[in-house]
Amino acid sequence: MSSRRNGARNIRGPQSALTDFLAANNISAAQIRTDYDRRRQQTAQDATNAGEGPSNATPEQDDDEALAAAAQAEEDEKKTKKRKRTEEDAIDKIKKAKSSKGGSKAKGKKGKKGDPDDDDDDDADFDGDDLGMYKKSRPAPGQFEHCDICNKRFTVTPYSKEGPDGGLLCTPCGKELKKDLKKEQRATTKAVGTGRKRRKVESEKLDGIAVGGAKSLSQLCIQKVAQHHDDIEELGDLPQSVLERLSEIFSKKRVMKSKTLPLFLRPDLDSVIVHDAAYLEEEDYRQMFAVVPNLRKLVLSNACQLKDGAIDYMLERCHNVRHIQLYAANLINEGMWHRLFREAGARLEVLKLTWLDAAFEDLVVRDLVQYCPNLERLKLKLCRRLGQDAVVTISDLPALKHLSLQISQDVSTETLVNLVQKRGSGLQTLSLEKFLDADDSLLEAIHDNCTQLSKLRLCENDTYTDAGFTSLFTEWNNTPLSFVDFNSTRDVDNNNPTGPEDAIGLASSGFRALMAHSGETLRHLDISSCRHIELPAFMDVFNGAENYPALEYINISFCNRADTSVVAGIFKSCPALKQLVAFGCFDVQDVVVPRNVALIGVPRAQDAIEQFGVGIGVEEAISRMVEMAA
Amino acid sequence: MASETDYVTLISNDGFSFLVQRSSARISPVIKRMLDPNGAFMEAKDNTCTLQNINGIVLEKVCEYLYYNEKHKDASDVPDMDFPTELCLELLMASDYLNI
Repeated sequence: MSSRRNGARNIRGPQSALTDFLAANNISAAQIRTDYDRRRQQTAQDATNAGEGPSNATPEQDDDEALAAAAQAEEDEKKTKKRKRTEEDAIDKIKKAKSSKGGSKAKGKKGKKGDPDDDDDDDADFDGDDLGMYKKSRPAPGQFEHCDICNKRFTVTPYSKEGPDGGLLCTPCGKELKKDLKKEQRATTKAVGTGRKRRKVESEKLDGIAVGGAKSLSQLCIQKVAQHHDDIEELGDLPQSVLERLSEIFSKKRVMKSKTLPLFLRPDLDSVIVHDAAYLEEEDYRQMFAVVPNLRKLVLSNACQLKDGAIDYMLERCHNVRHIQLYAANLINEGMWHRLFREAGARLEVLKLTWLDAAFEDLVVRDLVQYCPNLERLKLKLCRRLGQDAVVTISDLPALKHLSLQISQDVSTETLVNLVQKRGSGLQTLSLEKFLDADDSLLEAIHDNCTQLSKLRLCENDTYTDAGFTSLFTEWNNTPLSFVDFNSTRDVDNNNPTGPEDAIGLASSGFRALMAHSGETLRHLDISSCRHIELPAFMDVFNGAENYPALEYINISFCNRADTSVVAGIFKSCPALKQLVAFGCFDVQDVVVPRNVALIGVPRAQDAIEQFGVGIGVEEAISRMVEMAA
Repeated sequence: MASETDYVTLISNDGFSFLVQRSSARISPVIKRMLDPNGAFMEAKDNTCTLQNINGIVLEKVCEYLYYNEKHKDASDVPDMDFPTELCLELLMASDYLNI
């Protein structure tokens, strides 16, 4: 045999594929054999020391044995026998070591390794022993180990978790255990608001959704629907008002997309209201008009992708459009605007357009006025190209009842006066924002011409005088207003913060006159930044004796003369009050808020920015405040 | 004439009946008007409301909501009531009908 071996070195005959492969890859069979021997002896040693190591040697044994057998089929018999003996010894030791580890579990795995019956005897020897070396010690990272829970084999790492029985866990079981522990922890600490959730709770209160007590069931359901918007296929037979609220929430959460839009389109509806159409594309707009041909009211905010083609389709298909509200529809060309007014103008009653740029100029407004004789509501804000001519043209709209303008280019006061003189008698709403140079002549014109106004907004101006306001509200033929907004009418001069002697903007006497005129029916009052209103005026108006039964919303932000007694007076005088906004009123402190009222913006470092009624009545709140002040 | 009992019955369209406190049921303005003794409705006489368009499972959740609402009437920072997602749309229609 040995001669054959020597000869094999010189004579190269056909060899087995395995030997060929090994030779080609520089693997020496002899080296493998010596490695194997060395390793076996080492594990045999480890078995006595640690009692754990050899577990990984055993499966490899099988493979190595095959190799070793193939490499040297004709071996020295003495060597073979000795090896076999040491092998048996090693196997015995391994068995003993394994049985000391975990008994039945190890046995289950070792089905092919040896006779399980042997282990039972060995077990008895090791029961109840206190020798440290037979206790389980944590195997080094890199070693294999069986999971305590699922019994799978895995490699030990420095991050392996310990199981409940003390043994190690494989990665998935470790993760499960950690998750369970965390869930228990969370179940015990039950704060309703911590971090992000608390902000959500407060934000909802500011929106007026939940002032005190529980939310309404409709609100809870709508929230849940919005949460699962991906899974909804159809909204069924919901009534239109609920559908509108749902679309509002979808828009707010920015999930109004091509996929969810069809939920809101039904042939029997007559309005399409999408407050955030930013994700919708041209196809979606066409679909809108295709599914809802009886469209009367169209509201699209952030309608960025609305193009000529879609408008063309609408003109073709929807012959009943009465109300168009498009915000930021800047991809519509000038020609299309002209066409829109020409073809659909006859029936148009409401038109609200904001954020338009190059395509919407004074000429378009001329077409608008010419072709829309029935227009009752017009709102044009933030359209960059509109100027004085537009206002002149608008003065000629015959049926105008509600007008809202914010024009960035300069418009002379005469033009505005002219507008009011022509249309004032029919106007129910007048809102002129940011006409910085409009002066008292406009107020006079309003006084002389308007008799049906119920909503008046004149804001962001530093030319009106207090005297002008006073004369507006004194002996005015108009019915009492229900919505008033005079915010930011004040003198803007950094060198003279208290303003000139003759006050600019709405100040004390103007304010008194306003409340005297409209106090009974006023619902919404916004006088923020009218900082020339003095404290006595506030005290006179909100003194508890006067009653303003309809007032629900008051904004006195940045009126720095207002103080706590004013707020107390407001609580007393306004039984229907829901929201009081008072940012920047530094003299207002230590307010006790009665039930159903939300006080927003009163600063103290420790308090929340909004305070809510604590479930007590107005009388009690005021008496508590008096006690605190005393 | 039947006097004002403490509890009233709400019946769903598939025959389930729920006994709830009158004070909780009155949270819904619709039910309140049905049970108003000064009104002419039959429901006021036998203190029973039959709701033809709400089925049993949904009505059960509605009753749970009525109690939840009454319990947290004066509290702030109230945790939301939980309900299974499948019921959501039907519950929304029911809440819209009952105005709660």
